[in-house]
This record gives sequence, C-alpha cells and structure tokens, in this order.
Amino acid sequence: MSMRPTGKILVLAGVGLVVTVIVGFVMAVVLISWFSNPPFGLGNAPPQPIAFPHTVHAGLPADGGMGIQCEFCHRNVTKGEAATVPAVEQCLFCHITVGGSTESAIAEISLLRETTEDGDPLPINWERVHRLPDHVRFVHEAHIRFFTAPDPNIIRTLINGEETTEPLTVQQTCTVCHGEVAAMSVVKPKAGQSLKMGTCLDCHRENNVPTDCTVCHK
Amino acid sequence: MVTNRINHKWGMVVDLDKCTGCQACVVACQSENNLPINTKDSFIQRRAYEWIRIERYWEGEYPNVKARFIPIMCQHCENAPCEPVCPVFATYHNDEGTNVQIYNRCIGTRYCANNCPYQVRFFNWWEPKWPKTLRNHLNTDVTVRSRGIMEKCSFCVQRIRRGELTVERQEGGKLDHKTMGERNVLPACVQACPTSALTFADQGDETGPVRKYFDDVNEHEHHGDRTTRGYRLLEEMATKPNVIYLKKVDQFPLTNGGNHGG
Repeated sequence: MSMRPTGKILVLAGVGLVVTVIVGFVMAVVLISWFSNPPFGLGNAPPQPIAFPHTVHAGLPADGGMGIQCEFCHRNVTKGEAATVPAVEQCLFCHITVGGSTESAIAEISLLRETTEDGDPLPINWERVHRLPDHVRFVHEAHIRFFTAPDPNIIRTLINGEETTEPLTVQQTCTVCHGEVAAMSVVKPKAGQSLKMGTCLDCHRENNVPTDCTVCHK
Repeated sequence: MVTNRINHKWGMVVDLDKCTGCQACVVACQSENNLPINTKDSFIQRRAYEWIRIERYWEGEYPNVKARFIPIMCQHCENAPCEPVCPVFATYHNDEGTNVQIYNRCIGTRYCANNCPYQVRFFNWWEPKWPKTLRNHLNTDVTVRSRGIMEKCSFCVQRIRRGELTVERQEGGKLDHKTMGERNVLPACVQACPTSALTFADQGDETGPVRKYFDDVNEHEHHGDRTTRGYRLLEEMATKPNVIYLKKVDQFPLTNGGNHGG
C-alpha cells in the first residue's frame, strides 16, 4: 500500500494551513496592538494645525533653542491635574514681536497671528498626542511635586527603574514619561513608553505611594 | 507628600431632626457626580439614578398628618453585602473605610445591586445623555459612566482627593479635620444641606463631630443603652454602615397614632 497522500488529505492540509495563517495573523495583530501604545504607533505624531517645533522653544540655547521651561507655557502642570495647552494669547505674548527668521517660520507665525476674530485670537485646535482613557484622572501636579521635592530622604524610582535621591527639575520630571520633547520638532510619545495601568502601578509600588483605585479612578 | 497622608476613616451623620426634605442634597449630588437627568419614564421603570434620595413617609391621617423624611445614600457598610458577590472585584472596601465602585472593572452583572439592602446602587441601562446645553456642565473630576456599568455614591471621593492635593500644594500638610473645615472639603450633599442635617468627617478624629455618635452606636448594641439619638439603617442585618442617623425628636407627636403609609 503506498503512502502517497490522497487528494482529500491535500485539500485538508491546505485548509488547515490557511486557517493557521489567518489565526496567527489575527493573534499577531491583537498582541502587537495590545503591547504597543498607541496600536502600531498609529496617530503617534498627528499633524498639528500650526507647526510648533519644541526644539526652537524648549531646546537648549546651545542647540539653537530658546531654553524656555516646560511650565512656562504648560502653566497648569505644577498647579493642577492637566498640564494644559497655552492660550493663543500666550503664544502672541512673544509672537506679537517675534516674527520668525526663516521663510517657513514666518509662514507658520503669520498663521498664528491670523487666527483672530474681530481682533480676538481664536483658539487653535491642537491635536492631542498623549491620551489616557476617560476613566483615569492623571494629576500632573502631584507627580511633579514628588520628583522635585527638595527632601533628600525620599528615594525616587524613575519609570525605568533608576533610583535617585537628588530632586529633579520640572523639565527632567516631564521627560520621565514624555521623553525629550525639547529635542522633538514634531511631538510624539516617548518611544517604547507604555502609558498603561501596569506602568503606573509599577512606579507607584516602587516609590511606595498609594495604589488605591480611587487615587486615579473616581 | 501623598506618601505620608493620614489614613482616614470617613463617616457621615444624618440628623433627621434637621432634615426638611428640601432635596437640595439630591440636586447637588446630581450635578456634582455627572448623573444623567432622570425622566418620567425612568422613574416609572424604577431605573432612575439618585445616589442620594429623600424617602418620604406620611404619618397620621389627614388633616392630622406629618411628613417624615429620610435621606438615603450608599451606607458604605463595613460588612458590605455588595462586595463579596462581585465576581471581578469592581467594588471593594478601601483603606479609608469607604465602599468603592471601580467603573472600568465593572462588567455589569448587577449582583451587587441585588444584594444591597438599601437600594442605593444604580445600573446604567442606557448610555447617559444630557441636553446639549448641559454638556459643558459635566464635572471633569468624575468619570461619565457608560452603559452596562453599576454606579453609586462614592462619598465624593474626587472632592477628598482634590482637597488632599490642594492642602499639600499650598501648605505642604495633610488633610485633617481642621484643613477640611477651612477648605470645605465635603461631599456635595453635605455642602448643599441648608440646615446642616448632614455631617461628614473622619471617624478617627477624636474631636471630630461624628466620633461620639460612632463610638456610642458601636459600643451599645441596644438602642436603649445609647446616650445619643444615633442608629443605623437596618441594623439587624449587621452590615455596620459608616452612615449614622439621628432619631427625630418630635415635640408634638400625633395623638391618633402613627400610620406609616407610602
């Protein structure tokens, strides 16, 4: 009796192969989208209505930036929950006189100046880059206070497991989760940085701060 | 610093002698906690959301009649019947003595509501809707619960957390009874009550306004032994609520005897 595969078995094997490939593909998609944030990096660096290069504003003067502190524009970051995007008035505070030196800068700044209505500036619809679910209340202020507190007795564990007793600056604290925004001409989330609940909990446990659900979920 | 905050044990005392049944607490709660607006239909179907409600009882026969009011919110029981039945630990007791509902854990089995003797848990049968003009009135500190989620009174935990942060930021201190009083860190219902019938404070605070009532009720099982007017709702169920009610003192009781009608 020969062991040559019959036609029926070949068909079955073919169907099995197709099913395996499809199931494997679906599982791969699900797993990658679960472990990457945002899924597949989609919407990582959304196009903004006006190009705002953080390199020019927050970058160090040595690198050709202005060296403006994060909390100068994101004013609420040391005062409350949301870091807040500055009002157009605050942009115009400088840009009423600063017109830009390069051609592209002049074009973008005039775009900013022209979004007015009867002389009043209109708010700009900035695209959100970092997004948490609606049932989480992340308080920026408390985190900045913890990392910048001048108390040398606190051992602070950073998100990457690094320990420090030296208080950080506000700017350094921001980079823990947001990465080096000052070096980004287009803002995108820190590469490989998960903003899932597990990351929050790991950091909270290592720093011995409350992990009660109502600290974040209210 | 959040790391050395006080471990509170919250408690509420409701003085029924002061309650006039004005429903200010109900309205305050409704707007503080992003509760959808109840329609006539939702009342008829017994699916109205009221984290705190005023129950009204009539005593006596017309015209010799008296209205009795009792505000009922989540009792934050120590032995909460709702907690052990949740299959996903969406409701649990936290270290501040309150019964917490975690919306993103909830899968909507409704076991907790069925097991609650006080009828204070509400299930979102529909996606909550507000008129367009009210969309901007939503409280950003409170999650908007979507369809299929159980919800209930949280002792306004968002106000407590905000109070803790404010005290920490401005004074570097902790939220204790003194700072709570100065900053009005109170649940919305307590703050809104015009007759101060509701009192909210830390039970652990020796000099706090609720301590003596909790001590009295905890120490004396029988009503007759108690020195205060304190009692708990459905005390015989041994749920040990963190809400204590103070009996009404009726100076002019009805002569024709009480008749508790709906």
